[in-house]
Amino acid sequence: MRRSNPTAQGVRLQVDPLACDGIGICAHLAPDVVRVDSWGYPIVPSQPLTDREKRQAARAVAGCPRRALFLSEC
Amino acid sequence: MTRPMLRLAAPIAGADASLLATPIRLPLYGVAGALGAPENLDTHLARLGPRPVTSGAAGEDLITTLDRIGLTGRGGAHFPAATKWRAVRGLVDDARATGAPVLATVIANAAESEPASAKDAVLVGLRPHLVLDGMFGAAEAVGAQELIIWLHGGDRPGWRILEQALAERRAAGLVEPSVRLVFGPASYLSGENSAMVRGLSGGPVLPELRRVPVAFAGVQGRPTLIHNVETLARVALAARLGASGVRHSSLLTVVAAERRTVLEADRDDTVSDAVASANAVASAVADAVRAGGQPGPGDAPAQAVLFGGYGGTWLPWEQVAHLSLDVATLRAAGASLGAGVLVPLPAAACGLTETAAVLRYLAAASARQCGPCLFGLPAIAGVFTALAEGSAGRADLRHLKRFLGEVDGRGACSHPDSAVRLAASALRTFEADVRAHRRGRPCAGAVRPPILPVPAGG
Repeated sequence: MRRSNPTAQGVRLQVDPLACDGIGICAHLAPDVVRVDSWGYPIVPSQPLTDREKRQAARAVAGCPRRALFLSEC
Repeated sequence: MTRPMLRLAAPIAGADASLLATPIRLPLYGVAGALGAPENLDTHLARLGPRPVTSGAAGEDLITTLDRIGLTGRGGAHFPAATKWRAVRGLVDDARATGAPVLATVIANAAESEPASAKDAVLVGLRPHLVLDGMFGAAEAVGAQELIIWLHGGDRPGWRILEQALAERRAAGLVEPSVRLVFGPASYLSGENSAMVRGLSGGPVLPELRRVPVAFAGVQGRPTLIHNVETLARVALAARLGASGVRHSSLLTVVAAERRTVLEADRDDTVSDAVASANAVASAVADAVRAGGQPGPGDAPAQAVLFGGYGGTWLPWEQVAHLSLDVATLRAAGASLGAGVLVPLPAAACGLTETAAVLRYLAAASARQCGPCLFGLPAIAGVFTALAEGSAGRADLRHLKRFLGEVDGRGACSHPDSAVRLAASALRTFEADVRAHRRGRPCAGAVRPPILPVPAGG
C-alpha cells in the first residue's frame, strides 16, 4: 500500500457507524481484527494493523454489503 | 482585491463588559413570560457604542484578541475560536487571490436543545443586538457572506425577537448583510454541528461522521464558522473592549429549588459561589417550599453536582464545591461546564433515580442511526432504571459496565459518549447508593419527585 502521508504511522480499519447495519460479515472475514459488541456491531482496533491484519481487513472492506468499512492512514 | 487598512478602534473605556446585568429566575420548563423586553438598539448603542469595523486588518486584530482571551466554543471540547476563524479566513483569502470568489458561511447556533439549559434563550431574549453584533463582526472578519441563525424547532419567541432586532437595525440605517433565520427540528440533537450542517446542505437534520472539519467544508461544502450565541456575544464585547477589557465569565443555568437561575459567573468564582447566588435568588421560592413542610434547598449541603448538562458528569459536592469555574481547574477535576448547566443534588434526593430518568431521555433522543447508540442506550437506561428501583443484581451491574465500555466512542456523533459519561460518573459518585440499591435497599430519595427537568420523548 502506498503512503501519501509521510507522517502516517500505519493503516487502521474504520467503521462508518451510519452505514453499518450490524450484518457481521466483517467479523467472519477478519476474525483477528473485528470483534462484535453485544448487539452484533463491529468493534475495530484503534491502533495500526500488522501486515497479516491488513490482509484480513482488506477482505472485510471488500466484503461489507453496506460499504461501511474503510482503511485509513493513522 | 485589496482590503482597506482599518484597525480596531481604541477600547471603549468604562463600557459594560457583562452579558447579564442580574441573575434571571425561571421555571423548570420554558422561559415564556419570565423575561422582560429585549434591549432595543438605542439602549444597546448607548451602552456600548457602535459595532467596530472588523474587516481587513481589523479582522486580524480581532482574531488575535480572541486568541489572547482564550475564547473557545461551548461544546465541551473547548476548541479555540481563533483557530476556526483563521481556517475560514484563509480559505476565503486564498480563493480571492485566484480571483474565484468563495462563499463562506457563519452560523449562529441559537438552538438550545439541552432541556435544563436556558442561558441562550435568556441571552437572545434580553440582548439580541449583542448576539447580532458578534455574528456580523465574525462574518466581516472571516469574509463570510452567508449568515444563518439556527433555532430550536418551536422557539417562536426567539425567532420573533431576532426578526424584530434585525428590522430595527435596518430601520436605523445599519448596512449589514441579510440573515436567514432557520428553524431546526425540536429534537435534542437539533443543535449538533454536523446535523445542522447536513440539514442546511439539503439533507436530514441528523448527525453524521465528518472527515473534514466544517471550517474547511461545511454547509454545501463551503468554509463554515459555527458559534453558539453566547460565544458570539463575547466576540461582540471583545471587539469593543479588547483583550484587557473583557470579563472572563460563563453563563450558567443553575437548577435548584424547583427553579432555574441563569447567571453570569466569573472564572474566579467557585462552584459553591454560583450555587449560593442561585439559591439566594430562589430563596423566596424556598420559603414557600418550606411552608409546605418539605426541606428547602439551603437546609442541607448538596451531595453532588451535575456539570455540563444531561451528557455531563456527576461529581461529589465536597470534591468540587471549592473549585473555581475556569476550564483548566474543572478539567483537572474531570468536569466541564459544557452547556453551562449546574445542578446541585440535594442530600435527600437519589442520584441513581435522577440519572436513570435522564438516561431514558437520552436513549429516546438518539438519532437512531448508529447501532451502538440505537441498541446500547436503551440497554444502559434499562439496567440503570432497574438499579434505581432496587431490582438489579450483581450480574446486571456487570452487563451495565460491559455496555458502557462497548458504546463509548462508537457513534458518528458524541451523543452515545455523553450518555456513557453521565452513567459512569453516576456509578462512581453514588457508589454507596449503588451498593445499597443492588442489595434491594433503594434510598428514601428514590420515591421523591425528580429534581431534574426531563421532558417527554427526545
